[in-house]
Amino acid sequence: MASHDVLDVLNLPADGASSRPTKKQKTTAPRPNLKGLAREVQSLGGDNPIAIVPEISTFKKRRFGSRKPAARWELSPFRNSARNDQTLQLRHWKKETEDQSRATSQPQSDSQTPGDNAMEGVKKTDAVDDSGFAKFNVQVDIPQYSEDQYNSNLINDDWTKDETDYLFSLARDFDLRWPLIWDRYDYTPQLPDHIKEEKDADGTDPDTAMIPAPQSRTMEDLKKRYYEVAAKMMAVQKPVQYMTQAEFSLHETMANFNPTTEIQRKKFAQDALTRSIDEAREEEQLLIEVRRIVARQQKLNQDRQDLYRRLDFPPTEQDITSFKSSSGLSTLLQNLASVDRSKKRKSILDVNGTNTPSSAQPSAHPTSTPISESRRESIAASAGGHRDSIGGGERPERPSKKGAQQPQQQERKKLTEQEEKIYGVSHHDRLPSGPTFRYERINKILTTKSNAQHQRITNTLAELDIPGRLTMPTRSVVEEMEKLLASITILLDLRKVNDKLDGEIRVEQAKNAERKKATAATTSASAGTENLTHGDGQPESAAAQTDKAGPVANGRGSDSTSTNRKKNDGADSTSQPTITNGEKKGLAEGKEAESSNQSKTDNHEDRNTRPESSGGHKRSASVLSGVSDKSSKRLKK
Amino acid sequence: MAGQQPLPNTQAPIDVYGGDEISALVLDAGYCHTRAGFAGEDVPKSVLPSFYGSLRTSNTDSTTTTYRDIFGDECLYPRSDFEVKNYMSESESVVEDWDAATKLWEHMLIKRLQPDRETSPAKNGLNDAAADGEGDVAMEDVENQEKPLAESPLLMTEAPWNTGKAREKAIEIAMENWGCPAFWMSRTPVCAAFAAGKASALVIDVGGANTSVTAIHDGMVLKRSIQKSQVGGIWLSQQIRNMWDNNDPKVNVVPYFMIENKTAVDAGAPAQAKLRKFPFEVTPSYRAYEEERLLTEFKESVVEVWRGPGRYLNPGNEELVKSQPGRVFEMPDGANQMWREQRYRVSEGMWDENAALPNADGTKAQTIPEMIKACLSAVDVDLRPNLLGNVVVTGGTSLLNGFNDRLNNELMAMHPGMKIKLHAAGLTTERRFGAWIGGSILASLGTFHQMWISRKEYEENGAGIVEKRCK
Repeated sequence: MASHDVLDVLNLPADGASSRPTKKQKTTAPRPNLKGLAREVQSLGGDNPIAIVPEISTFKKRRFGSRKPAARWELSPFRNSARNDQTLQLRHWKKETEDQSRATSQPQSDSQTPGDNAMEGVKKTDAVDDSGFAKFNVQVDIPQYSEDQYNSNLINDDWTKDETDYLFSLARDFDLRWPLIWDRYDYTPQLPDHIKEEKDADGTDPDTAMIPAPQSRTMEDLKKRYYEVAAKMMAVQKPVQYMTQAEFSLHETMANFNPTTEIQRKKFAQDALTRSIDEAREEEQLLIEVRRIVARQQKLNQDRQDLYRRLDFPPTEQDITSFKSSSGLSTLLQNLASVDRSKKRKSILDVNGTNTPSSAQPSAHPTSTPISESRRESIAASAGGHRDSIGGGERPERPSKKGAQQPQQQERKKLTEQEEKIYGVSHHDRLPSGPTFRYERINKILTTKSNAQHQRITNTLAELDIPGRLTMPTRSVVEEMEKLLASITILLDLRKVNDKLDGEIRVEQAKNAERKKATAATTSASAGTENLTHGDGQPESAAAQTDKAGPVANGRGSDSTSTNRKKNDGADSTSQPTITNGEKKGLAEGKEAESSNQSKTDNHEDRNTRPESSGGHKRSASVLSGVSDKSSKRLKK
Repeated sequence: MAGQQPLPNTQAPIDVYGGDEISALVLDAGYCHTRAGFAGEDVPKSVLPSFYGSLRTSNTDSTTTTYRDIFGDECLYPRSDFEVKNYMSESESVVEDWDAATKLWEHMLIKRLQPDRETSPAKNGLNDAAADGEGDVAMEDVENQEKPLAESPLLMTEAPWNTGKAREKAIEIAMENWGCPAFWMSRTPVCAAFAAGKASALVIDVGGANTSVTAIHDGMVLKRSIQKSQVGGIWLSQQIRNMWDNNDPKVNVVPYFMIENKTAVDAGAPAQAKLRKFPFEVTPSYRAYEEERLLTEFKESVVEVWRGPGRYLNPGNEELVKSQPGRVFEMPDGANQMWREQRYRVSEGMWDENAALPNADGTKAQTIPEMIKACLSAVDVDLRPNLLGNVVVTGGTSLLNGFNDRLNNELMAMHPGMKIKLHAAGLTTERRFGAWIGGSILASLGTFHQMWISRKEYEENGAGIVEKRCK
């Protein structure tokens, strides 16, 4: 049935359109390709080709075209070379190879009976292949020994040869898996033959009492015996001195097997297994703690190493002469900068950058010492023993700083004294750990003194226009200051002694003068008899007062010193009689009267404040300062 | 088979896929079921109850009686003179009746697994009519054709406490009766461990008649560690019977086959059912077998294990359970009741000796935690952590609801601070047939080829070789 038939059935005119499609068919011409039903369907469409008919369908064609015969599988016998018994032929399915497929054209009757008839078996041995799994069969190497070797080397009181043999057979059977060996170890000593016979003969067995009862062996016993034998056999086969490293270490391990430590270890393990819940939890917490501590320790170590690395300098082995010119210096600086950048040591770079060669500024003038130097010294101090161990002389410094002069890389050259001074190198017997401030050293000197002395020293310093706290405590300044303070203390001590001696001298002089006066008075003889009783004491005190007044008048100040106070006390006891009697008598001279008046005022003050009180101290201090002022002035002269 | 394998065997990546199948058969005999199938498959093709029917037929002159054994679940229906027996021993789970065992195994391995042969030999014992077709057999094949399993190596499983005699008997049957080219005997817990993918494991096998706990090291049983107890499916059934007897109202155990029709009744009301009448006497053994089915259903749907923590008898636990919804179980005769705290109580005896309901014979069975303890103490200390990290649970009774949770809790309580990991297959079949699956894996391995005891070795060494080789 074609398109014109359809048109005919439907009474449609066919001729008008029939010419055109024939032309088109030539151009496209898909029709010859179509076959079967597809062609029929297509022809139904006539001049209007039907779209749903697949024009090209190579799918089926390609599939049929590339079809090969299905892969052939055969049930082929094989054997496993790992077996002791090679007769067992098992069969598995296997893809046929070319020659085999040719072979299968022969009748396959024999495949039913694996290895049953000899002729077939011989014929088959060539064809039968080995299992691919045979290579996985590995065996443990168990030492062997002969009867003689056993008797010469391996005899042990605890073990019979029979039992040793039994142990070794088990070791072989279970491939040295000790838990299994121990589990299956069930040795019963063999009855000797003659005993057996006797037993058979008379039915009773009196001799069996002599048979040792089978011992129960622990795993450690078994291991010990095995390792003992194995080590000895190893040594027999190859003397110890010829062994390779690996063999020797194995031999050592086996020969030194210690069952007791092993038992102990297992006991510990047992204890660990039978912990209670609380113990387990506690242990877990402790473990966590330990882990944390270890981690922290590691971090600390890392930080410390990092710090050490920072303190180190990039080592150079080159000759230093190239850096002696300014251009060489600048290249060096650049190199260092790049190194710094790579190591991220920015801070040190900054220090170097700001303090470019301030060159050989002698540190003789302490105030003009660059800040950098003091900082450097503080680094040296803080680095402490670490630096000392390197050797103070060539302490690694930032080379750019005084690179031109610094001969540091001329290896380990001893610096002259002058150079040391220039570079600020100092030697110490012992350095306290950690950084310290120099002014603290000064402070320490002061604070160890008593309060009074401290005050005196401060006054002295104030008099000298030296501030108590140094603004620029460089090393030399501090040293000078220490010297100064030492001499001030010495001076003050001397002053004290001096004053004391002065006072004594004056006392003696006053006594002397009194005596002279007394002699003069007796000669003038104007004294009343009623006053004779204290006439002896009074003149003396009066003399003392005059003596005292003398120096006061000389400009020492009117207040009492410690020595003066003593005299004041003396005057105290005498002054009242002087007041009561002095006016009556009027024998005192003008000077003496003055002094007595003064002593009166003194007494008034003393009544209010006890001599030992702080007020008295203050006054005495001021006096002393007055004295020390003078002395220091004298010192200046 | 290996038909889909894309590469020829020589090029196959054997390190990835270690299988190399040689059409071996695997037979796993248990007290409740016996399983047989092809190595390499994941489920046994043939699972039959180990119970078999023994039909007594008297001759016409009734002087001699003969017994015909009938195997298979579908054959166990009420008949006259029909006893139900089991070829295994209940206390040991090892073969007791070797004749019946041979017949049952033959029935499974040959009749159910092998294609029908044109010349079924008279020795088969399954066909009553003696086969007479020897005509179309070639003469050289006669000797071989008589042996039905000449093409298939056979792997059998056994209980780890199996005796040497029984093992020798097994290899004799396989070699002499069936003509197997190769034979191997493997222990049930080892196979169960293999099925879980472990070479070293602590296997807890809660089976029908027995529960065993065994330590496996490198694919071998540690003999000193073997622990066996009665705590299993049958024991649990006894507990349930005890509970039913003491229940108020007392529960009558009427198996399904006795019911002709029943009408629905309210909970606790007496049953209204019409019992079937049989023109013959139903033997007690058959009735017991059918009752056991009912009990199994009860175990599957109602009984649950108290999950812990602690024991069920600890104060407060019972009250908690009472406050929770129970489960209704309808007996075949229509009597039904809600079970709440009792359903926990019956299984508690597996864990707590004091909770066990008194047995008829008054013996007490060792509980599972005690067995684990005893097992571990018989093992070297170094192995214990590893064993606890690889605990394999298998056996049908371990499918009790909540069993694994409780076991895990008990282990955690016994060994605090240890890593404990349970491996219990999620699929019911894998749990029930764990040992068979392990055997199937083992027998299909390429590296196992070197292990088989070949026919020649058997002939040279005698049956004793099984003791020497299958350690």
